[in-house]
Amino acid sequence: MRLRVFAAATPAALALLVGAAPAHARPAGGAAVDAPQVIPLPADTLKRLKSGDPAQIKSALDDVRVSARAAAAAVPVVAELLQRGLPEALTQEAIDAIGDTESEAGAAAVAWYTRDRSPAIRRAAVSALARTRGSAAVAALRASLSDPDAGVRGLAATSLGSMKAKDAVRDLFVALEHRIDEAAASIGQLCAGAECDRLTGLLGSVAFDVVTGGLDQVLFRPASEVSDDLKIKIVDRLREVGTGEAHRFLSDVQAKWPKGWSRKVKEAIDRSVQATAASPGASGGAP
Amino acid sequence: MKRAYPFAAAAALAACGGAQLQLTRFSTDWTDDGGASIGRVYERVGQTRIAPTADVVVGVAGHTDKVIGLPLDGGAKWTFAHPLDARPVVAGDVVVVSGGGELLALDARTGKVVWRRSTGGLPVLGAGDDGTVTAVTLQRAGGSGSTLLAVAHDGQVVQQIETDKPLGAPAVIGKLAFVPWASQYVSVLDLSTGDEVGRATLREQVSRAFTQGGALWFGQAAFVRFDAHIAGASRGKASIARLPARELPGTPKLVPGAGGPVAAVSSAADRVRLYAHPEPTSAGAAISDDTWYATYFRLVMAFGAHEGKLGWVHLHESDVIGGAAASGGVVLCDAQGKVTTLDAKTGGVVAEADVGEPLEACVVNVDARRPPGAPRDVKPLAQQLAEAVLANDLELVVAQKLLLRELAGVTDEGATQTLIDLASDPRTSPDLLPDARRALAERRNGAAALVAALGRHYDFLRDVLRPPPVGPIALALAGMKDGSGASALASHLLDPADTVDDVKEAAAALAVVAGPAQVPALQQFLGMYRARAESDDLAAAVVSVGQALVSQGQTAIVAAAAKDESTVPYVRERLQALLDAAPPAAPGGK
Repeated sequence: MRLRVFAAATPAALALLVGAAPAHARPAGGAAVDAPQVIPLPADTLKRLKSGDPAQIKSALDDVRVSARAAAAAVPVVAELLQRGLPEALTQEAIDAIGDTESEAGAAAVAWYTRDRSPAIRRAAVSALARTRGSAAVAALRASLSDPDAGVRGLAATSLGSMKAKDAVRDLFVALEHRIDEAAASIGQLCAGAECDRLTGLLGSVAFDVVTGGLDQVLFRPASEVSDDLKIKIVDRLREVGTGEAHRFLSDVQAKWPKGWSRKVKEAIDRSVQATAASPGASGGAP
Repeated sequence: MKRAYPFAAAAALAACGGAQLQLTRFSTDWTDDGGASIGRVYERVGQTRIAPTADVVVGVAGHTDKVIGLPLDGGAKWTFAHPLDARPVVAGDVVVVSGGGELLALDARTGKVVWRRSTGGLPVLGAGDDGTVTAVTLQRAGGSGSTLLAVAHDGQVVQQIETDKPLGAPAVIGKLAFVPWASQYVSVLDLSTGDEVGRATLREQVSRAFTQGGALWFGQAAFVRFDAHIAGASRGKASIARLPARELPGTPKLVPGAGGPVAAVSSAADRVRLYAHPEPTSAGAAISDDTWYATYFRLVMAFGAHEGKLGWVHLHESDVIGGAAASGGVVLCDAQGKVTTLDAKTGGVVAEADVGEPLEACVVNVDARRPPGAPRDVKPLAQQLAEAVLANDLELVVAQKLLLRELAGVTDEGATQTLIDLASDPRTSPDLLPDARRALAERRNGAAALVAALGRHYDFLRDVLRPPPVGPIALALAGMKDGSGASALASHLLDPADTVDDVKEAAAALAVVAGPAQVPALQQFLGMYRARAESDDLAAAVVSVGQALVSQGQTAIVAAAAKDESTVPYVRERLQALLDAAPPAAPGGK
């Protein structure tokens, strides 16, 4: 899967994508590194987690987050802590820690907190579940599409796409109808055949940037997932739209089209870029 | 019938401002004669047969320059174009209108002019008519004092009397005019001589004399009958029909505009009114059907004449701007020109008519006519109340609060559903919502409806944007000790869209009605909040959940929470108290 961010992507989606890199890939200084460095979990981590002392629990959770995937052994204990209950700050820390481990074993405990009274805790839980994955996570995230908090809904929509939760496509369309714009990109990551057609059909009725946030995902999915014919259909539909913003979008796709990918699709893109070049506003800025 | 009175003044009113005929009447330098003079008047005309007045609806339309008459017996509608400076008055069989510098009497059945006089622009205060002469009171220029003008149906002025006293609406019987004034007197003037031949001092406020049901009545807030007891009026011995005191929305009055002319265009006071139909009885006086009526914009309410108990409620399509009680029902006129007759007993619609256009004001006069036919669309009181309180109309909120209290007293299970709907509807006025929730919390029936309502949760994707009234429902279910809603209550513990107050009440109810099936949800709630319950309500909810768990034998988890120092101090203390008070765990308990 290739994640691309267009100008239309919402801040919520951007936030998730920025945070999507596992914690072990982020050294303390915050600069990204090319290869994740595995840091083993300190031997006394479990003991500190079980100590009942908030300071020791805090330091242990920090170690879990640093060790990330390598801290899988601590997940059942952290999950138990969440289920027994922690003060606010430690609750958030524990949820984040389980997310960093990407361990499905912690999903059930984190899923509890998608129903928390605090929107901040719910957002943390949804973000964590996007990384633990698993059926419990998908079920909780689908429910979170109906959350009272717009931020939670947006994160849930984005997470379902990143988790390849194909069963959630119908819910995501309903979410898109309810102006959860993040759902468009997720639909683009998950749709098949008629579902992708349905997304394309929203051109003209849903904001262009929102729909193309999803269509972009479709166009850059591998041929094994999305056929050339479907991609050409999308490109042709964009050409029919014929606006300046359609031209700019197609030009952007044209510039980023990977070498070695379908020539048929590339030719369709080239034709469409040329056909829309004279559209009002095609040269940039608002028409 | 046209007949000249022998002493009629010939001069036109406008031209004879100084031609005052009798000025010694209406004297306040008068000692109560103990009813002697009014007693003599009764002896003189008490047995006179009083003909029914016209059953007619008179509408003011256009730019207050059009009068529309609609006889209620099915007679043809009539219209009369004339500027108006006051509300028309139905007197006997004529409709008296003033405006454009003149005064006119129109035939109530046909709209034809019976007589007209120039007045120089005095608005009509009230009028009475005995079929031969019309007595009209007019407000003098500048508002100081009044003019009483008696005009025979042939147009001759019988009497013109000027006074500095404020006169009310007169009635005429047997050549005598009964004229209320100064809110407490009724002077009887002999229209042949202009002399005051009798006077009654009433212990009720009086601004209007009128005939109805073959009797003469004086009143404003009550009805005093002119009968053999009238001589005792000053001692409070007259025959009186009055409405019981009770709480009502607004400040409705039986008589609009007492003390001055009634504006040609209706006002809020016309939309908030009382209507009652007095009838003579062997004992003196009574309210017809033991029922009186109150309007509040689109709402019409019927009350019992003795205790003021609500009988029925009718939600009308548009504001009621005029009406009259009849024997057997009430005839109402609305701003759209629709005339609706409602049955006294049920509030069902008995008859409908249409003036044909929107009205600025409306006057209804009903005397002998009884509403024809059987009422239709009769609904139980609970349903009537439901429709009234659920009406999405901010103007009605004050009345809806009153009706909500009535609804709370209805034991019908449908009332429970109505309260749920009201408390759940996002359109419900914030002024009404607290009352609805309070009434719902006090329900002790309708558990199935309560539990069904709990099945709804906030759901953004399904456009359910308001949770059900969980707190009141929880209180009601706990009050009934009904465990059928325990699972639904438990699900609301964990719904972030519910208010913390609702969560607190749900938890408190679960302490009473929870069963083993609710243990997982209770444990989850305890775990999530025992160390984070910073608000008093949330802490109380955690303690209630602890209580529910203890009641289900889950003492170990509660004990662990009570012991853990990360648990909020208040919660720890209360959980420990629960454990201390709990009976020892049974063998095998957790």
